[in-house]
Amino acid sequence: MDSKAATLLAEPRLGGASFRAWDGRRWVEAASSDFDGHSLTVVVDSLVDAVSRSPARGPPPGTPSTVRGEWSTRPRRPMSAMGPEELVSRARTALGWAKSSEAIQEAQVRIDWDEDERLYLNTMGARCSQTVHRTRFSVVPLAIEGGRAQFDFFSRGGVGGEEILDSLTEENVAATARRSKELLSAKEPPSGAMAVILDPGVAGFFAHESFGHGTEADQFLRDRSYLQPLLGQQVGPEFLTIVDDGSFPGGWGSIYCDDEGHPGQKSLLVEKGRFVGALHDTETAAAFHVKPTGNTRRSDFLSRAFVRMTNTYVEPGDRTLEELVEEAHEGVLLERGTSGIEDPLGGQMQLKVKMGRRIENGRLTDLVSSMALSGRVLDFLKAIRGVARRSRLEMEPGYCGKGHGDYIPAGSGGAYLLSQAIVGRA
Amino acid sequence: MSPTRGVPETAQRVADRLKAKPPWEVYAEHSRRFEVHVNGKTVELTRGPIALEGYGLRVLRFREGKTAVGFQASTDLSEKGVHAALADAERITRYSEFPAARVELPSSSAPPAAAPAVVDKELWEHPVEAVDHYVSTLLSCFEGRRQVTPSFGSVRATLTETSIVNSNGLRVAYPQTTVEFEVAVKAFGGPEGPPPGEYWVNDSGRRLDPASLPAAVDRWCQYAEDVRRAVPPPTGELAVVLPTEVLSGILPTSLGFKVSGSARLRKIAVSPGQRVAAEQVTVVDDGCYDWSLPSSPYDDEGSPQRSRTLVSAGVVQDLVYDSMYGAAFGVPTTSSAVRSAFGGTLAWRRFSRAPTPGATTLAVSPGDGGTDRELIEAAGDGVWVQQLGWAVPDPISSSFGGEIRIGYRIRNGKLAEPVRGGTIGGVVVGAPDAPSMLRGIQALGSTSQLADGFASPTMLVRPLSVAGSSA
Repeated sequence: MDSKAATLLAEPRLGGASFRAWDGRRWVEAASSDFDGHSLTVVVDSLVDAVSRSPARGPPPGTPSTVRGEWSTRPRRPMSAMGPEELVSRARTALGWAKSSEAIQEAQVRIDWDEDERLYLNTMGARCSQTVHRTRFSVVPLAIEGGRAQFDFFSRGGVGGEEILDSLTEENVAATARRSKELLSAKEPPSGAMAVILDPGVAGFFAHESFGHGTEADQFLRDRSYLQPLLGQQVGPEFLTIVDDGSFPGGWGSIYCDDEGHPGQKSLLVEKGRFVGALHDTETAAAFHVKPTGNTRRSDFLSRAFVRMTNTYVEPGDRTLEELVEEAHEGVLLERGTSGIEDPLGGQMQLKVKMGRRIENGRLTDLVSSMALSGRVLDFLKAIRGVARRSRLEMEPGYCGKGHGDYIPAGSGGAYLLSQAIVGRA
Repeated sequence: MSPTRGVPETAQRVADRLKAKPPWEVYAEHSRRFEVHVNGKTVELTRGPIALEGYGLRVLRFREGKTAVGFQASTDLSEKGVHAALADAERITRYSEFPAARVELPSSSAPPAAAPAVVDKELWEHPVEAVDHYVSTLLSCFEGRRQVTPSFGSVRATLTETSIVNSNGLRVAYPQTTVEFEVAVKAFGGPEGPPPGEYWVNDSGRRLDPASLPAAVDRWCQYAEDVRRAVPPPTGELAVVLPTEVLSGILPTSLGFKVSGSARLRKIAVSPGQRVAAEQVTVVDDGCYDWSLPSSPYDDEGSPQRSRTLVSAGVVQDLVYDSMYGAAFGVPTTSSAVRSAFGGTLAWRRFSRAPTPGATTLAVSPGDGGTDRELIEAAGDGVWVQQLGWAVPDPISSSFGGEIRIGYRIRNGKLAEPVRGGTIGGVVVGAPDAPSMLRGIQALGSTSQLADGFASPTMLVRPLSVAGSSA
């Protein structure tokens, strides 16, 4: 809602089933949103027909899951129990906090939650039923002056229920509103190659775009990963560890099992600076003689399964932000990540942020407006000079696409991180 | 031709089960999708039919001078499912308010004056064969090439019958085809050569056009090879030449929002009479642009599509409204109801979104800048950007920026070495009298192209901020 309009949207009750069959050479799939017998028969017949036309025979690669189980996140305070009155009331209160700040003419508040029910069955006997509850909110106060508009945003989300909203406080919203106003007079960011410090959320984007997409092992099979030849090698400093963890407690991208029935789990990608592991589905695990890592994910029954991330993060280190700023001496702090994009073959990455601070003479100085960071991942890794400590690692909520769409909930996180890159206006 | 021949269209079937007080509206889609995914030069996965039938139900309730809107979407077309969706929508109206005393839904189902071409007949009638033929043509374009190959790609074709019925007597239905295409082209090899390079193509439209592939693959292979020897651009405020493929990721999101009734309601829209662009810039919102993804015979509330000038000689002429936002300002809909996601038009699943006002195909009129070569000559010294990373602006501040995935340095009026890395950025629509990308347009090419639902000539913009590694 904002002050002009309030809308409570019930997201579609989308339901359906996807079927996959191995035709001796490749997978063939069909799906339907209609559960009636005739529709499902049409879908299955199309697969039978496709398989019968294939000249090849033989089993699919890899060892299919035989996992059986039933899981649910069962939040102690489920959002479904809150009711629309309370939901709207919480949003109105947050809207009031945002608009009570000077120079904030408008604000947008969004609170959303969903229940994702998935049942996976295969011919080897796997039967994985899981229900995952995800809750998220965002507050965007708009500061408008002289025909210009600016905003900061405050957003949190995770697997769970109403407790996710506990950080939707007046103090947090007011701080965001103040920053929106400050952004109206923010300076242009510096341009060129320089020392950069990523805030914890942006460090999470870095983990996701660099060692997340680059270690999805279907890209190895396609010979489309610049990282593949480096497996086992030292690629960064000893204090750098990057992880993907589908079992991260409360993580936005956490799952009980993936969409091939393999359990969600923690996978070390970079350990003490050494590139040690990749993310696998059944097929890539077989090709590389390892176990599946629980990273096969579908956006929904309408979308294909890929090797995908869950929660990807940089493990906190032992430095402080103040130490990193002093060491950077001249450069820029990048804050509030808005998007990132990978380059699995070329090894570039792009990270975009809403704002930042100049670093001058070893101190944080002027607020600067939105920026894009560009750089070669391997150069960026080599230039990392420190990672800050953090008392409690949190995953930030986001959606990750692979190729053309196929968005899935993916968490990312980290701690302040100092390196070197090209930065420009965005 | 219709997948539901002999069966009433989906929206009417839902409406027949609907026991709702007017005003109400049902927007429905019945889609079949067919996909082929390739890994290298082999087919990795085929998918289809992927059948999806669903509807979005909107009810409007008027009270105390305001409008309450309830919306629910569902794939359950049974009587019980429709009843549940209606109950949700009615319940939601209790917590909704919109600043319009009354909203009139469209009643006319007259066809548009010039219905756009949005159905690839061959694809509609023979989807599996058409997609297979397109993919085999694509792969054949790589035969005989040394050190260049597709590494990854997909073609996703969707055949949709859209239907809209409302309590004001409107009933329309129309077929449309959509195609989403991507391919990553990899250049590699050579003795002790540089690392592999990749050019990643993403496009969408209304038809498969295999005849266009040979020439396109030639270009993509050249870009992939050039990636291998590219260097970062210089840093500075430079002349930049941007082709349609790049502009399609920048202009529509920002300008489309700034001219919308939604932005006007939040007091962040541009105003009629305001100069937002250089004098040679004219922009038309054309819902009937042939083969463009945002085109359709009717907008997403059922009003016939049309073409309207939004910016003439750099000055804003008009804004776009749907029924609701039009009612908030006492003006009629401009046939601009769009069910979309941030960053682009939805190829399918539009039924799951409530309509909001938005532009369709923004078409920038060609200028007198001549050919691309002449624009490069006019730039003198600068950068040609062939592809950016995700550069989509945030629509509120209108700031945009992204990494240069491949471009070319312009020296002495000619394309020189390829550039890659570094960033380019700016503001698309600036505050009055503030510099912006649209105000900085120095020349427009003389021919227009369509890319991803946006039509324009190549543009020369001076200056834009470029950040690289050297001065």
